[in-house]
Amino acid sequence: MLDWIKIANKNYPDFWKVYLSRIEQKPERAVALRLQTTGNDPHKDVILAISAVGMQQNHINAGDVFEVVLLQYVFNHDNGLSNEFIIESKVEKMLEPQAIEQFINYLGNAVIVGHQVNFDIEIINTVLEKLNCGRLRNEALDVDIMYKKYKDISSDKTFAIEEIEKQLKLPESDKESTTDKAFALALIYQKLKHKLKL
Amino acid sequence: MKNTLAERLATFLAAYQPFSEIPFEELVSVAATLQIRTLEKNQILFKVDDPLHPFFYIVASGAINLSVVADAEETLLNRCETGEILGLRPFFAKNNYMMTAKAREESIVYGIPIDTFRPLLLTNSQVLDFLLQSFASTAPRNSLSTMGKSGLVNDTVRGPEGSTELQYFQSLSYDKKPLFVKASDTVQVVAQQMTDNLKQSAVILHNNMLLGVVTEHDLSSKIATGRLPLTAACQLIASKNYVFVPENTSLAEAQLSIIRHNAPLLLVSADGTETTAITGVIHLSDLISAQANNPGLLIKEIKKALSVSELKDLREKMTDFIQLAIEKKVPLSHVCAITGEVNMALIKRCIDLAVLDYGSPPCRFAFLSTGSQGRKEQLLKTDQDHFLVYEDVAIDRVTAVREYFLRLSKRTTQFLSDIGYSECPNKHMANNLNWCKSFSDWIQQYSDWTSKPGLKNQENPGIFFDFELAAGEAKIEESLWEHVMSVVPKNKKFLAYLANEAIKRPPALGFFSKFNLEEDGEYKDLFDIKNRAILTYVEIARVIALSREIKGSTNTYSRFKQLAMLEPKHADVYQVASEAFLMLLKIRTNEGYKSGSDAAYIATDELSKSDRERLKSAILPLKELEEIVKSKFQLTFFS
Repeated sequence: MLDWIKIANKNYPDFWKVYLSRIEQKPERAVALRLQTTGNDPHKDVILAISAVGMQQNHINAGDVFEVVLLQYVFNHDNGLSNEFIIESKVEKMLEPQAIEQFINYLGNAVIVGHQVNFDIEIINTVLEKLNCGRLRNEALDVDIMYKKYKDISSDKTFAIEEIEKQLKLPESDKESTTDKAFALALIYQKLKHKLKL
Repeated sequence: MKNTLAERLATFLAAYQPFSEIPFEELVSVAATLQIRTLEKNQILFKVDDPLHPFFYIVASGAINLSVVADAEETLLNRCETGEILGLRPFFAKNNYMMTAKAREESIVYGIPIDTFRPLLLTNSQVLDFLLQSFASTAPRNSLSTMGKSGLVNDTVRGPEGSTELQYFQSLSYDKKPLFVKASDTVQVVAQQMTDNLKQSAVILHNNMLLGVVTEHDLSSKIATGRLPLTAACQLIASKNYVFVPENTSLAEAQLSIIRHNAPLLLVSADGTETTAITGVIHLSDLISAQANNPGLLIKEIKKALSVSELKDLREKMTDFIQLAIEKKVPLSHVCAITGEVNMALIKRCIDLAVLDYGSPPCRFAFLSTGSQGRKEQLLKTDQDHFLVYEDVAIDRVTAVREYFLRLSKRTTQFLSDIGYSECPNKHMANNLNWCKSFSDWIQQYSDWTSKPGLKNQENPGIFFDFELAAGEAKIEESLWEHVMSVVPKNKKFLAYLANEAIKRPPALGFFSKFNLEEDGEYKDLFDIKNRAILTYVEIARVIALSREIKGSTNTYSRFKQLAMLEPKHADVYQVASEAFLMLLKIRTNEGYKSGSDAAYIATDELSKSDRERLKSAILPLKELEEIVKSKFQLTFFS
């Protein structure tokens, strides 16, 4: 109850309050998350697209998909980037605040699965900060780390998704969209999860 | 919200039946409800007696084996590969699963919820039909065509005994339109009708009462001998030597009836008595052809086959036969010989079909099989190796002739790969310009190989010394052998080169006689039985056989047997080697059937302990063989 008061006092946006109440529960769902960003600086770069595929205990739900393209007018304009892919994409388009709000609602308390997931979380946190929210509190798993654990590799080397996919004997598919990549990530996670007996 | 993943999955589904019948928009909404599962090798999707899942499945990648387990023995019923559906039971039945679905390799399956799919069945009747058919056909493949037409939808499993005691389940296909004649017809009329309708017998009816049956035997014994004239009424020569059987008689029962009553033919009626109408006649020949596993009949059918898909089915039947033969412990040398004949017939038929497409050849030619096929050791569907030799023609026709044979070879190669023989990775195929040449070019080629062995950029030509005629002119093959025998046995340098290549192969066993497994790459931790063991035997047998001028038999097994006779000094080693070679072949073949591959690499840790020991003991004789080769060809100087 006290927590609630604290949250209420802090002037968070409503969606964040809902998120905070949901995060208390134990997660039953995992979400394979894949971002497309303009670069790899969590503070200077921005998110261009978010795709996520939901998973239950031992399967991927094709219906549990989140995908959105962010309209980053200012950023594109300042950096003189083309917005061709935004025009071509069939995916729904939103502005950053709206997109993040929807994503947080979709994410809930699910475990986040990503490749180099810390960066993804960091860049989302940057956006959340702008919206007067706190930081993400979800449990997060990195397939790169899982893969190294499975193979017993201790080096700092990062394995690309394609490499991991090949080693796990997953079929190679042409991954064009961010959603395809999220799906590939979900398959990798399912495999590794089984292999590591999680 | 839009879901591009669902669209992508729907695109996948749309490529396969029954989904191809469903409008794409509806398919997208189905796809959005899919559950995707990854399966490890040997992971179980569902097993016998599991409660039904609320899904049926489509294989997205990999392969799933469907099997039943009885008496601790697993019997494979079917194998589902990409795009095939399985687990349809929840649609049609309420009881638990009747079979086990297990991933044969790393696989991905999509689970399609029954509840979302059921409404589509109502609007798309073709989809329902397709599902019913697939549900009914998830039965052992070899009993599919013959098993009860009445019980199409009743069950998916017919009990494991069906596969071993097949004969008791196999119903016969027989003449279902017997020839009926009147009692007053003359013998001549009856004989004419039998000839016109290609019947072996005619049933004489009078007011729907059976009076007897006229068979070819009756005609020959009673008419042709002059005992009765051609104008006699057929009733006079009719025999009553027949037995009634019910309509769904099995092969085994029919055989028993014929033996017990010593009757040459069986009459079929609805209830198996004289009182109901006759619906068919079973002759001895029907019984023979019902034993479709008979390779002789297979060859006959291959010779008549009109399409590649027919040939493919026949090769599948051959696979069943080989498996059965190995189970029944038929000597492997025998199985090899038979399989070799069937393979040759297949290749010949493929060439015939290609000739049908391109018109008759402009000159005489010989299509020669090499590699495992040429040695008649091809039990699995491994790769194809062959080359083509055509007669020398006048210079103005050379281009046209070459064009023709290249096209012919291309077509033949295509047919063979459609049947399931993959193309040779080293392109040792007649559709390759290098291996489709005139006779004099080939003579030159063999001379080149033998006079300058081991040239740079030149692969080991050994495989071209194991040829066997598949189709065409036998004379060409003979002359080619003559040439080979005239240049090879005397050529010490070339023989030493071949011998060196043979013993240079990667060793099979390492320290402490452990298997040398692949260290990296795609086949990591697997044993390369083909390159490390089988081919070493093959090459050693080849080089010694060539040096002793053994021609006519290219088979590794018989090469060793012949060598044992020629060289009493080493007879023991050769005998052991021939047996060991067969053992290796057997292990590889068994593994190949288990995994549905060509089993060039086998997982030694998955072999049973006794098989592992057998494999090891089959490799051991190699050492002594290598010693013989070394001293014989004085290899110490060479390498």
